[in-house]
Amino acid sequence: MSKKFRITVNGEAYEVEVEDLGGDAPVRRAPVAAPVSVPQPAVAAPAAQPSAPAAKPAPKPAKPAVAGAGDVTAPMPGTILDIKVNVGDSVQSGTTVLILEAMKMENEIAAPAAGTVKAIHVSKGAAVNPGDVLITIG
Amino acid sequence: MSMDKKIEQLAQERQQVLAGGGAKRVAAHKEKGKLTARERIELLLDEASFVEVDPFVKHRAVDFGMDQRQAPGEGVVVGYGTVDGRLIYVSSQDFTVLGGSLGEMHAKKICKVMDMAVQNGAPFVAINESSGARIQEGVDALGGYGDIFYRNTQASGYIPQLSVIMGPCAGGAVYSPALTDFIFMTEGTSQMFITGPQVIKAVTGEDVTLEQLGGAAVHNQTSGVAHFYAASEAETLAQVRRLLSFLPNNNLDEAEFVYTEDDVARQNEELLAIVPEDPNRPYDVHEVVASIVDNGDFMEVQAAYAQNIVIGFARINGRVVGIVANQPKVLAGSLDINASDKASRFIRFCDAFNIPLVTLIDIPGYMPGLNQEYGGIIRHGAKMLYAYSEATVPKISLIMRKAYGGAFLAMCSRALGADAVYAWPTAEIAVMGPEGAANIIFRNDIKNADDPVAVRQEKIEEYRTKFANPYVAAARGMVDDVIDPRDTRRMISNALEANATKRVNRLPKKHGNFPV
Repeated sequence: MSKKFRITVNGEAYEVEVEDLGGDAPVRRAPVAAPVSVPQPAVAAPAAQPSAPAAKPAPKPAKPAVAGAGDVTAPMPGTILDIKVNVGDSVQSGTTVLILEAMKMENEIAAPAAGTVKAIHVSKGAAVNPGDVLITIG
Repeated sequence: MSMDKKIEQLAQERQQVLAGGGAKRVAAHKEKGKLTARERIELLLDEASFVEVDPFVKHRAVDFGMDQRQAPGEGVVVGYGTVDGRLIYVSSQDFTVLGGSLGEMHAKKICKVMDMAVQNGAPFVAINESSGARIQEGVDALGGYGDIFYRNTQASGYIPQLSVIMGPCAGGAVYSPALTDFIFMTEGTSQMFITGPQVIKAVTGEDVTLEQLGGAAVHNQTSGVAHFYAASEAETLAQVRRLLSFLPNNNLDEAEFVYTEDDVARQNEELLAIVPEDPNRPYDVHEVVASIVDNGDFMEVQAAYAQNIVIGFARINGRVVGIVANQPKVLAGSLDINASDKASRFIRFCDAFNIPLVTLIDIPGYMPGLNQEYGGIIRHGAKMLYAYSEATVPKISLIMRKAYGGAFLAMCSRALGADAVYAWPTAEIAVMGPEGAANIIFRNDIKNADDPVAVRQEKIEEYRTKFANPYVAAARGMVDDVIDPRDTRRMISNALEANATKRVNRLPKKHGNFPV
């Protein structure tokens, strides 16, 4: 069912057709900017109430959730140029395990700890972002 | 009372002060592997050079039973002495006396020697080990902290101030060290934090140990609060003595000249092997520094923090210099927030104390990324520009390889007032790298080509040949000369000598607005 309207704006007439889709149609609303002039923090500040700590779950340590002590992570955005180790290889702390091309440099990425290469999560040519786990050493 | 008796009484009084918190507490303290407040002073200063000030000061607190409590020496030993024959003022908190807590008179003792240090233009070393403010003294203790902070700030840039952390340093106590020039921490026994583990647990629920929260490793690697890390207290105090050997006594003084057997015209043959020809290959810039400076003797500052930039003190032809060098081995040597903070603070210290700056440049640019932008790399990166522009000491720059874009400007370019700029033939000085530049300049050529990949490569090479060299900048006079890497030590030394009498007039103003 549709209805026609004539609307005059600044002396200029427009013909508008409006169609009623019935009550089931979901109402879609354009997002409206909240009338605030101050950027709001995404996370509420922790309440300074020492009485309620027991109920709060202990947050994870500051390190990225996925990265453990033996994980080799990407220090900056770049492309994996070469992988110097295979799964099962034993490495020393400081051994170069892969080459990350970033910032016009073939950066030698070293093992953070001694151990055995448990998994390699990237392949040559992969683009990586800071914090991505590249290799797991256990 | 006869004279003999009076002298005997003096000896007794003094003995009581020297005993600190008493044999039992001192023994418990030493069991933790720590030195006493007085032993630390003895290790720091030249033998038998310490002159104590105010040993008989007493607190005036009466509340909470304080009128009954003795605090020999008020929990802090203060005075002066010499390090390598030079006058140094020192305070050393005594943890065995009321936990080294800071009250009104404790603070007054510290302030007294700080005032003396300023008046006589000598460095001040504060050895910190304190449980914090003496709660029983209330606002008098708080006021004491305030008096110290004020003096730290007034003395900043006038005399070098060093803070040595040798135990807990918590809450308000951390801000005196934070206002000083350098902080030394000892592994395992020193901690700095604003709120302790219990408060953090209560407020945010996070479990953290003292060492994880504010140990020497954390502040030397993660937060950048501390500048030096040592395994023992003795090693820490040796580091303090070593650092003092590179510093002048005050802002009108010059750091000590040390005659060197190391030939100023020594050829730096090894540099040809250290720096790879391929600009995409990393190397360790420490080796370059060691090659250039006298006897390879370099005292690095903040060695474990923001390792993409290397800073520290050395001598060239006997004169102390501050070295600022990009480290291609870490994050490709790019400038990020932490590196900018680290280097700009160091540059300002050197400028305040007449230490010439030698800048070794191999920089691909500022670090890209959301976390950098959101973290404010704009305002942090601006610190480098500001600190170098503001500095009036001799500024010598050497471009080893990459010098791209705004980050190159930030590394003490000619435009920021460098007095001498040299480049090796391997230098690439341009507004941006060949890859990025080719994509923009030749966008249409590449897009319309039958083989875009081949054409792009061709254009990159074209750009590289034309601009990725030192001669375009040299043609504009932005580089004074292109030099053989083997002549580096001689050329830098010549520039330092020629600029030793440099004088610069600045606009009359109160102070600039450093972009913090």
